[in-house]
Amino acid sequence: MGVLRSIRARPDSTADLHDPAGELLRRAGRGDQQAFAELYDALAPLVHGVVLKVVRDPSQSEEVTQEVFVELWRLAARFDGTKGSARTWAATLAHRRAIDRVRSEQASRDRQDRDANQTVREHDVVAAEVESSLDQVRVRRALSQLSELQREAVELAYFGGHTYREVAVLLDVAEGTVKSRIRDGMIRLRDELGGVS
Amino acid sequence: MTDIDVHHLAAAYALDALDDRERFAFEAHYGACDVCHSDVHEFRDTLTQVAASLSTPPPLSLKDRVMAEVATTRQLSPALVPVAIDRHRRNRSWTMFMAAAAAFVLIVIGLAVFRGGNDTDTYASELAKVMDQTDAKVVTLENKSGANGSFKVAWSQRLGEAVLIGEELPAAPSDKAYELWLLHDDQAMAMYVLDSAADGTVHSVVKTPADPTGWAITVEPKAGTPVATGDIIYIATL
Repeated sequence: MGVLRSIRARPDSTADLHDPAGELLRRAGRGDQQAFAELYDALAPLVHGVVLKVVRDPSQSEEVTQEVFVELWRLAARFDGTKGSARTWAATLAHRRAIDRVRSEQASRDRQDRDANQTVREHDVVAAEVESSLDQVRVRRALSQLSELQREAVELAYFGGHTYREVAVLLDVAEGTVKSRIRDGMIRLRDELGGVS
Repeated sequence: MTDIDVHHLAAAYALDALDDRERFAFEAHYGACDVCHSDVHEFRDTLTQVAASLSTPPPLSLKDRVMAEVATTRQLSPALVPVAIDRHRRNRSWTMFMAAAAAFVLIVIGLAVFRGGNDTDTYASELAKVMDQTDAKVVTLENKSGANGSFKVAWSQRLGEAVLIGEELPAAPSDKAYELWLLHDDQAMAMYVLDSAADGTVHSVVKTPADPTGWAITVEPKAGTPVATGDIIYIATL
């Protein structure tokens, strides 16, 4: 411990060129509320979209979206552009908070039954919500490249907020199978969509 | 859980599709695994595109509520990046700690630290061993200081072992060190003087002399102390 000394994390200025939201986040980290308001405008549809997809209930989703933004504000000074873009950071945090919300809600229920009944409906809703913006077309096309089981496993995990063990029960396949389908599916999706966000 | 299994959890981790136990094991592993690190980053970038395809603007009124809360919310300080002058010291400078019982309330139990040639492997396999026990428990210590970093302990009393996982811990003040205490009833047992790596990571395995009812970390003189004297910076009670 004694050999350690501390320095401040140095923002990676080159990252800003490709990550305008990252620059806003860095300014917000210095207490700039105007920059944070701009960041909100830039990222709110992304954050709210993923929260709404997982949580589904509109008023709860608003609460979670608010939580996510307040957390982004609190943590803004810790944003490290070398570890990923601000958009990815926000989307990751949004999904995590949405999952936290549905899992804590479901903990007190008999979720196995309820979820089994909902599986079919969720897929219909997923399909119906896909509209024709460029992003949506690309993502839909990429998802269609996955095998049926890969796609179902990834969607039930990401949109449905289920753990892979729960996905295994929902799809009635072995846990090991789901684990590898999720992995194969994500690799396929990554290759189809590329890594840029 | 073998190491190979852990690698294969990167996709499920990026999807938030692990239960707490596996998430914990994976998080402990991936900090030290370049392959998993880059997998998780790439999968998260990919998922951000999926998320973008779901874009839905929230109601306009939400912005006012967010900005009102932001105006009254304190921001955390930037993360401090500890920089080691000699990274190799990491494997040698573990402060071993053996002492006899000292006070009525606070007593010392010695510790034994596993420390193999490759600490990451040793630590990962010990963690898997602990997590495979039916009585395995995991706590995240609450950060009382407002300092950076997080600290978790996983342990199995049946196995008599605890695995410590510290991430992004700030360096202790000069001539001070962080010390871990096992709380047992009203006793605090000195467990271990923390020696974090260059990136503020602590991965370590210690013996648990008694069934923990809590864990705490205090700031102490560099050599460690048998009796807690400093401020508590992290604590969890069961």
